Amino acid sequence: MSHRGRHAFGALGVAVATAGLFLATPSAQAPPGIAKPWTLPRSADGKPDLQGNWTNATMTPLERPEGQAATLTAAQAARIEKGMADRVERLAQPSDPDRAAPPHGGDGSTGAAGNVGGYNNFWIDPGERIAMVNGEYRSSIITDPPDGRVPALTDEGRRRQAERQARARQFGQYDNPENRPLAERCIMSFGSNAGPPMLPNYFYNNNYTIVQTKDHVLIMTEMVHDARIIRMGGERLPKHVRPWMGDSIGRWEGDTLVIETTNFHPQQLFRGASDTLKVTERLTRVSADTIHYQFTIEDPETFTRPWSGELPFKALNDLIFEYACHEGNYALSNVLSGERAQEREAAKKKSQ
Amino acid sequence: MPKAVKQVAIAVVAAAAGALAAITAMPVSGQAPRPALPRAASGKPDLNGIWQAMNTANWDIEPHNARAALAMREGPVVPVPAKEVLALGAIGAVPSGLGVVVGGDIPYTPEGLARRKENQANWLARDPEIKCYLPGVPRATYMPFPFQIFQSESAFFIAYEYAGAVRNIYLKDPGPPQVDTWMGQSVGAWDGDTFVVTTNGFNDQSWFDRSGNHHSEMMKVVERYAMTTPGHIQYEATIEDAKTFTRPWTIRMPLYRHVNADARLGQFKCVEFVEELIYGHLRKTPLK
Amino acid sequence: MRTTLSIVLAGAVLAAATVPLAGHHAFGAEFDPNAPIRLQGKVVKLEWVNPHAWIHIEITKPDGTKEVWMVEGGTPNTLLRRGLTRDSLTFGTELIVDGYQTKDHSLKRANGRDVTFTDGRKIFMGSSGTGAPRDGRDPTETPTKKPGGR
Repeated sequence: MSHRGRHAFGALGVAVATAGLFLATPSAQAPPGIAKPWTLPRSADGKPDLQGNWTNATMTPLERPEGQAATLTAAQAARIEKGMADRVERLAQPSDPDRAAPPHGGDGSTGAAGNVGGYNNFWIDPGERIAMVNGEYRSSIITDPPDGRVPALTDEGRRRQAERQARARQFGQYDNPENRPLAERCIMSFGSNAGPPMLPNYFYNNNYTIVQTKDHVLIMTEMVHDARIIRMGGERLPKHVRPWMGDSIGRWEGDTLVIETTNFHPQQLFRGASDTLKVTERLTRVSADTIHYQFTIEDPETFTRPWSGELPFKALNDLIFEYACHEGNYALSNVLSGERAQEREAAKKKSQ
Repeated sequence: MPKAVKQVAIAVVAAAAGALAAITAMPVSGQAPRPALPRAASGKPDLNGIWQAMNTANWDIEPHNARAALAMREGPVVPVPAKEVLALGAIGAVPSGLGVVVGGDIPYTPEGLARRKENQANWLARDPEIKCYLPGVPRATYMPFPFQIFQSESAFFIAYEYAGAVRNIYLKDPGPPQVDTWMGQSVGAWDGDTFVVTTNGFNDQSWFDRSGNHHSEMMKVVERYAMTTPGHIQYEATIEDAKTFTRPWTIRMPLYRHVNADARLGQFKCVEFVEELIYGHLRKTPLK
Repeated sequence: MRTTLSIVLAGAVLAAATVPLAGHHAFGAEFDPNAPIRLQGKVVKLEWVNPHAWIHIEITKPDGTKEVWMVEGGTPNTLLRRGLTRDSLTFGTELIVDGYQTKDHSLKRANGRDVTFTDGRKIFMGSSGTGAPRDGRDPTETPTKKPGGR
């Protein structure tokens, strides 16, 4: 609901503007003598309390559009947000009850709507706000490199990418369930929702539950109910044990939770990353309704340099619902059976 | 790991180890004084940790004999394993068990019993575990996989290794469930030193075990987690479902803590393991 | 620059619909652009499941026989957070659906490109809460939302 979003946004503006004084480096603590507008809640063992339901839904994309500055003015952000609100309003207007079926040959819609018009906009909940960090409206989640874009691949990274593409070309995209995207197979969520890094998908259900005990932090991603269990300290998994979402070990640096994740599953390639990928995340609660989330991607075999981004996780005063994806996955079988049906029809036509 | 946390962790493990040693040294009659339970800041027992049931409930929650397989066919002399499971040999065989249902049998209505029989006859097609579907409650508790309890002052969350199933046990009742789900909607509260969880809002899709024991969407489950020693939780679940059973009934079993120093939940995201099973026939070139 | 950005950023959201194959899937993979449909019928079953909800409606064909079609929606979770319950769309409610049939024409399934009541109103509210006022006539209206959180 927009009222919730607006209030949270206003509070964020004040809180982050103040917190911005001491967020110059992610792990910095409040300088002594500066009054905080709010007291950081702490768990029973004195650590910052990050618990609750949170959302990282935002309109800010991962990469900065060409020619755009790192920050937007308040007016620019407002205009973009209004554009979204206007669009939602427009798409909510009643339709013509006497409308005919849509055009034969498709309705011209692009992207995921796939020329068949997808479904009504009321199912979508993409995020209605430009991300605000340290009092700035951000034009990209990526902050480093300074151009706000994923750095170039190394030669090795490019070679492996070409290899992957060549392997994929051996198959038609609908030949086997294994040729379909992970999200369509209900193995992982859209994009990098669970990650790490935990990134919004610009569609819906960008929600997380955090639970904290003295020796673990649990982060559950709504899609696909993936529980990432972060051990506070401890030994790494053996090199060949590679679970989805990798192996996360956490520690506190002052009031910031630092999580280092390695041992990623070979198929969970994040932007083409190799099996030496390491993701470092930093979570700092900066207000009642905001966790400042910062991440760094390091994979010298794939990227010419490390890269980092940040965005706010806002308090979600709502329930997170079960996302039992595989159990209700008509879509995957529709996709495969549809392709098989079209192949049969094409074969029949040929033989006639 | 910060020193303070490490010290507490060592203390807890030592206490658990000490308690277990104390118990095994005591006479079976149980007259020995109870070892002190680990407690949270609230004073309530601290159930944090990795737990697992050690029984054959997932095969059959009622008392049962060992037998060759769950899916059988007519043999020349006696029934034999069905073709689909034959190659598993002894790995596909069913172990015996005394069951976990208090009082012995599940009090089905006649329709409920008939449906269980159908489920058993069509086990391969119907058992949701075979398709890596979510296990439901209470089956999640006694799957042959560990689960981990995350208990804080403001939350109680259970992560199950099997299929990555999760349950966020709300400490504040959010009202009636808005939708039917596999794992239901759970609300938890302490009754003395026992954590009581009430769950409803189930769909009718999950089973209680591999033996076709089933329920309707009307089911309500009340679980009781009573820590008896630092290494044991006495677990009970009472099932109420007037559409399927003639009265409420209860299962009961101990849950055991994983005490090895490197104990951790593994990952069993089995969805990809069953793709050939579920979608193999839809491949461009199905395997023969 | 500003205009470019607002178009591009708005496009980033719309282009989110582009969701590369690393994301969900394109609807064009499942539904046939050469098989448009317009259905009008009564709700007989609701599946509030993920990844897609399915609304089953019973239509009456020109020859008088009845047929049940499944209409695909999005995730129900977003609607649940706006107060939807399992009883929100009452059985017997008449709906109009336009969309496209699955590529497998043996299935009576279509995407819910636009699902409305017979007066043209969308069956559910959008994310910003704008749209038709809540005046009690809407069978999908639900009372005040329950408090959420843990």
